[in-house]
Amino acid sequence: MQVSAYLIVSALLFTIGAVGVLVRRNPLVMFMSIELMLNAVNLSFMAFAHFLNSVDGWMFVFLVLTVAAAEVVVGLAIIVSIFRSRHEIDVDDLTMLKG
Amino acid sequence: MAAGVIAFFVLATVSVASALGVVLFRNPVYSMLSLILNLLSLAFFFLMLEAIFVAAIQVLIYAGAVMVLFLFVVTMLTPSGGGISGPDRLRWQWGAGIGLGIILAGGLIIALLNGSIAEGAKAAGMNGLAQAVDHFGNTEAFGQALFHGFSFPFELTGVLLVVAVLGAVVMSRRFARE
Repeated sequence: MQVSAYLIVSALLFTIGAVGVLVRRNPLVMFMSIELMLNAVNLSFMAFAHFLNSVDGWMFVFLVLTVAAAEVVVGLAIIVSIFRSRHEIDVDDLTMLKG
Repeated sequence: MAAGVIAFFVLATVSVASALGVVLFRNPVYSMLSLILNLLSLAFFFLMLEAIFVAAIQVLIYAGAVMVLFLFVVTMLTPSGGGISGPDRLRWQWGAGIGLGIILAGGLIIALLNGSIAEGAKAAGMNGLAQAVDHFGNTEAFGQALFHGFSFPFELTGVLLVVAVLGAVVMSRRFARE
């Protein structure tokens, strides 16, 4: 397979993730869409690492994976504390930073 | 047709379909399971790209640990009705989102099809991935690169994880005044 085939799959996954962030109102699903975008970028990093014969792409995937894990931990903590104070989660209702 | 091409198209179909499932399922738990399927299909893509170690950490850490944490929170916060709260207040939101998505996908694909990799971009010598994998093996090549060229970002990763853990602990603590 050529590198462009992998990149097109990656572009499709990224677009689906971006549309998910735009259209869904549940912050958990928006989070999942962000994960989709991160993974789409990981796929193109891996494809370039393979086709350019360079190990740098693997390192970036490793770093993206760590950042995604940290982001999930902090984001879920924020969502849980919002849920605790108002017992519903809908991004349209969250118009104030104050709890 | 070669087996690799068939495997590529099967995996591409599975990954795009499961990504659509993440966005389209109304119940967040189904979206979550769809996302796990998507991460597993990406791990198989990584195997096709001869990155065995990265595929393994994708399954173990991402599809395993991170997604289990995610699934706990999703099942905890999703009401039994399936998490649908009221009618859509913005009727044009889906139309606008899909329209912008088509523009983004079209732009990306046009850019990809018209672009090309520069001559001589293939790295050689010390950074050659295939040579390192042949010489050391897959995991050893990863470790060599991580601890030689990328040791400072690796240390920063540790700092980032500590900060994230502290942030999560502080944020999810029950305060006495509540």
